Amino acid sequence: MKTVLSLRLNGRPRDDVVPDNLLLVDYLREAVGLTGTKIGCDGGECGCCTVLIDGRPRHACLTLAAACQGTVVETIEALETGGRLSAIQRAFHEKLGAQCGFCTPGMVMAAEGLLRANPRPNEADIRDGMAANICRCTGYVKIIEAVEAAAREIAP
Amino acid sequence: MMDGAGPVRSIGVPTPLVDGPEKVSGKARYAADYLGHDILVGRIWRSPVAHARILAVDVTKAQALPGVVAAVTGADCDKTFGVLPVAMNEYPLARERVRYRGEPVAAIAAIDAETAQRALDLIAVEFAPLPAYFSAVDARAPGAVLLHDDKPGNVERHATYAIGDVDAGFAAADLVREETYHCAEVCQVQSEPHAALAEYDAERDELTVRCSTQVPFYVHLMLARTLDMEKSRIRVIKPHIGGGFGCRTETLAIELIAALLARKAKGRVRIVATREETFITHRGRPEQTTRLRIGLTRDGRITAVECETVQRGGAYSGYGIVTILYSGSMIFAIYDVPAARYDGYRIATNTPPPGAFRGHGTVNVRFAFESLLDRMAAELGLDPFAVRRANLLKAPTFTANDLMVNSYGLPDCLDRVEAASGWRTRKGRLGPNRGLGMACSHYVSGASKPVHWTGEPHATVNLKLDFDGSITLLTGAAEIGQGSSTVLVQCVAEVLGLDIGRIRIIAADSAVTPKDNGSYSSRVTYMVGNAAIEAANNLKAVLVKAAADRLGVRVEDVECLGESYRAGRQDEGLSFDDVVKAALADAGTITVKGNFSTIPASHGGKKYRGAAIGGTMAFAYAAQVVEVSVDPDTAEIRVEKVWVAHDCGRALNPLAVEGQVQGSVWMGMGQALSEETRYHDGLGITGNMLDYRVPTIVESPPIEVHIVEAADPHGPFGAKEAGESSLAGFLPALANAIEDAIGIRPTELPVTPDRLMALMEKRARDGRATKAS
Amino acid sequence: MEYMPAFRLHRPASVEEAVALAAGDPAVRFLAGGTDMVVNIRRGIERPTALVDLSAIPELGAIDIDSGALRIGAAVTLARLAADPRVAAVWTAVAEAAGSVAGPTHRAYGTVGGNLCLDTRCLYYNQSEWWRSSNDYCLKHRGSVCHVAPGGKQCFAVFSGDLTPGLLIHDATVDLVGPGGRRTIPLGDLYRDDGMDHLALAAGEMVAAVRVPAPPRGARSGYLKSRVRGSIDFPLAGVAALVVSSDGLATDIRVAVTGVNPRPHRIRGIDVHRGHALDDNALDAIREAVRTQAKPMKTTTVAPWYRRRVVGALARRLVARLASS
Repeated sequence: MKTVLSLRLNGRPRDDVVPDNLLLVDYLREAVGLTGTKIGCDGGECGCCTVLIDGRPRHACLTLAAACQGTVVETIEALETGGRLSAIQRAFHEKLGAQCGFCTPGMVMAAEGLLRANPRPNEADIRDGMAANICRCTGYVKIIEAVEAAAREIAP
Repeated sequence: MMDGAGPVRSIGVPTPLVDGPEKVSGKARYAADYLGHDILVGRIWRSPVAHARILAVDVTKAQALPGVVAAVTGADCDKTFGVLPVAMNEYPLARERVRYRGEPVAAIAAIDAETAQRALDLIAVEFAPLPAYFSAVDARAPGAVLLHDDKPGNVERHATYAIGDVDAGFAAADLVREETYHCAEVCQVQSEPHAALAEYDAERDELTVRCSTQVPFYVHLMLARTLDMEKSRIRVIKPHIGGGFGCRTETLAIELIAALLARKAKGRVRIVATREETFITHRGRPEQTTRLRIGLTRDGRITAVECETVQRGGAYSGYGIVTILYSGSMIFAIYDVPAARYDGYRIATNTPPPGAFRGHGTVNVRFAFESLLDRMAAELGLDPFAVRRANLLKAPTFTANDLMVNSYGLPDCLDRVEAASGWRTRKGRLGPNRGLGMACSHYVSGASKPVHWTGEPHATVNLKLDFDGSITLLTGAAEIGQGSSTVLVQCVAEVLGLDIGRIRIIAADSAVTPKDNGSYSSRVTYMVGNAAIEAANNLKAVLVKAAADRLGVRVEDVECLGESYRAGRQDEGLSFDDVVKAALADAGTITVKGNFSTIPASHGGKKYRGAAIGGTMAFAYAAQVVEVSVDPDTAEIRVEKVWVAHDCGRALNPLAVEGQVQGSVWMGMGQALSEETRYHDGLGITGNMLDYRVPTIVESPPIEVHIVEAADPHGPFGAKEAGESSLAGFLPALANAIEDAIGIRPTELPVTPDRLMALMEKRARDGRATKAS
Repeated sequence: MEYMPAFRLHRPASVEEAVALAAGDPAVRFLAGGTDMVVNIRRGIERPTALVDLSAIPELGAIDIDSGALRIGAAVTLARLAADPRVAAVWTAVAEAAGSVAGPTHRAYGTVGGNLCLDTRCLYYNQSEWWRSSNDYCLKHRGSVCHVAPGGKQCFAVFSGDLTPGLLIHDATVDLVGPGGRRTIPLGDLYRDDGMDHLALAAGEMVAAVRVPAPPRGARSGYLKSRVRGSIDFPLAGVAALVVSSDGLATDIRVAVTGVNPRPHRIRGIDVHRGHALDDNALDAIREAVRTQAKPMKTTTVAPWYRRRVVGALARRLVARLASS
């Protein structure tokens, strides 16, 4: 009941032997050591574990690792370039889109997925695109400002 | 030196959080993020029953399972824990009796999650059921079995006072009204489920615990108490914390159980609670019913207040006594209330214990107060702003219950939101099903008397300056996302005139940092900020002295420009590095400290038992206007916009102040609109993030923040609290706005669509009945 | 790390292979997005011996329009369906429903087949294993008591799929594949009025596709749902409607509901309004018909009487909007 999982994780090819019942989030955190992806609920309710699979957002806590065969998986750790924050990360930092920071990796990945699909979102698009992610600190006001600022930076 | 370069200013400058880059990049490590091959999985066996005597706990089969390293039960710890020294009646693992469904009874440490689960399934517990009470009314009924033998009538605490001549006040009133308000129990639902990693070093008999806490100091004390270890053999390290909002002020069983397991396993044990377990651990805001009576003169002056409130207090004392006292004391200190009578009952029930939740104790009573005040203003034909303005305090003053008020920005808050919301031209004129409501609220800037009273200063900050010219700020204050580390760095940078990048902060590691009372009751900015300023001033004195010696001038002639020190305008001066070299040449690595203690006048009164609760160095104030629309067919409420003004004394970091105020208002919105815990025979039925409805981004409104700066004479650069006062006002402002929109005033929260539709249909029926008669 | 029961994961490349892998073992489950299935596994509600992952089967991933009729593969994601302009233009209710499921991340991998086959939901059922065992389980799973209607032997767990009503009003059919081969049945026949056993699938059978014929000329359709929050929540009630108007008269009116019964269904008895103007009286009558046929029970924290009222209010609002547009 194990599978050899081959995927591209944060730009690097990997082959790992994984149990069939291993959740992607546990694979990422415990097997690979990428603890940026968080667990905030008991399944699909909070969005803290959002990662991109083949460019689209997905809950790592409701995804089986073995089902990611041949996919491209990106986590929060993939976004920095040359040790510098990405535009979205920088905007979340500078606009205070992150307070406690626990929902932030999922939030940032949701924003990443949104801006790749729609580089020039209006406020309603941002609300729609980020609506699967719960933040308990900000009231979302500064998260919206952060995504708007990042969008201006990426696609002026 | 750089020509014309003056000291760098940090205070008042919008400043992103100093630990922000870690958080947005996924590098920040929270308690669950420490990995290691040897770390054991800890799991807790929880009571399936609400109230029972424990006849037997058998973990032998579990213990015998290969891969199980340790099992613990109530027999492993006979020491209680609790946040209040006078009311510690909870065991890490239940002994003799369980009092709520989900209470920890046993725990195991195993090599992996699957073994841990199989071991839990092998634990056998025998119970003898007892009658269980899930409401305060049932627990208070005559003949009810006592949850705790020392709490007759299941009354955890009856807090009571009578201040001033209440009866004369009501007699002098032109209008007296009474109403009962009900608020459901709500939970913090901080983003991070509870987690703890305990490491026991058997060779040295030393314990290290990393856990999701707001007060590492309390965890330290409770570990020592429950494990019967010397405090000096324990180290508590606070990792990044995914929010708290009060439930992590208390030490929680999870960190104690992890430590008990680690010691027994002689190794490292990690417990990561599920979201359901995090709900079960609770420590949120209690269900509370408040009967309130207010007397007003016809020009709106408050003559007297009478309040009786009952809180469903849960199975253990926790913070209960303080919560029920806050509910009473904070009737004062926002308006000029000449007389008030209060009876607060905290009732023990077979539900998870509530605790301190943002706006501790004050929120539900403020909902009642501002709702009734609004209703009475309408009856008197007074504008809601006018009735508040008729009752303003004049600082400096002491309230009738002896709370010290030295700064009072509420009048400005009122002016700001009244103007920003267009109140005068828009109120009552928004068309059908749309309305405006307003309310005020306040909160303390730290409790002036900590619950663990030792006589020590309230806060201590150390600064270390070394050969590399960097300054390390050491503080026990727990950064939990509120920005405390950033504001402390700003305070030190401001005094020294340096860029904040020169200052590194290490927070909350008991082996390294000075003790701190923790992050609760909005105390950090005020108390630790003051300590940081004092420490920075002490460091500055050392540097100025060294500069003076090197320049051959008097100390009072040295001017500190941050990156340089000079003796006069024409002087070349010395660079900061040169001054550091000079200072170290005399003394070696420099460590200085700063302390802060509250002044006795702020310690609250002595007029009644518990009158110290509410005592603070400074009150912060907020006023807000909420605009809502109501769907007449579905009774769905939409919050269109919020304007809020918050008097934080001085906005040390305006960016963080805005963030805190927005978060507070929005959290109030969650309580007002959609959040509530519910129980099925004591079993939490909303223990997930689908049925417990924290608002999403979709229904969350724009929140326009106006910062009011009524500088406090004792505050750090005049600052007061910024992260709690704005919460309570949202609840009544929403209710008042609904009244403006559809003429119905909800008195029960949350105003879910079914609750509001019930009120709308009742009015329709009453209307028909009136027409028919 | 989460405890997960052990199971095998199969990733077949064809429908036939998938069906063969599931044949003979009633504890094998099909897995598409997993937004519902994996939660239920984590809660111990589902204890599969094996999962058959349908995401690698090309046949299930297509949206085709042929001669005006729509065919949606079961593994098409809700996000793709919602974003397809051809679907939104003709089968508006289907696109609106697809775009309103849960939250955007759920829709990005949740599938059409998964939404159609969503397990029924109840406060006493969608809880952890510890919770349910502490509550003596329930009629639907391992227990003998219904906590919604104690004493009864009927399960009232409610179907909450958003897509179904919009497809029902468009006379959709579903292609099923199983050990007995392929068959096509009306979508309405996929469901039973039994919260315990709400899908009329044979053992080992799966939904492969949904077929939706071209709507009547001039038809307008839409979907409205009630929920406390604007995202993530399952519907407290959902209504799809289709109206064909001609010269101010309604020549066709269809309404279907979800979230209020174990079985999603078309509202009966509203054909009487055909050929008439949809005035206030007619709209009120439609509202009443919907309210009468919705039988929500205490399966959510929101009061059942409210869900009955709101499903009627939404139906009235939607039909009025479609008739006047």
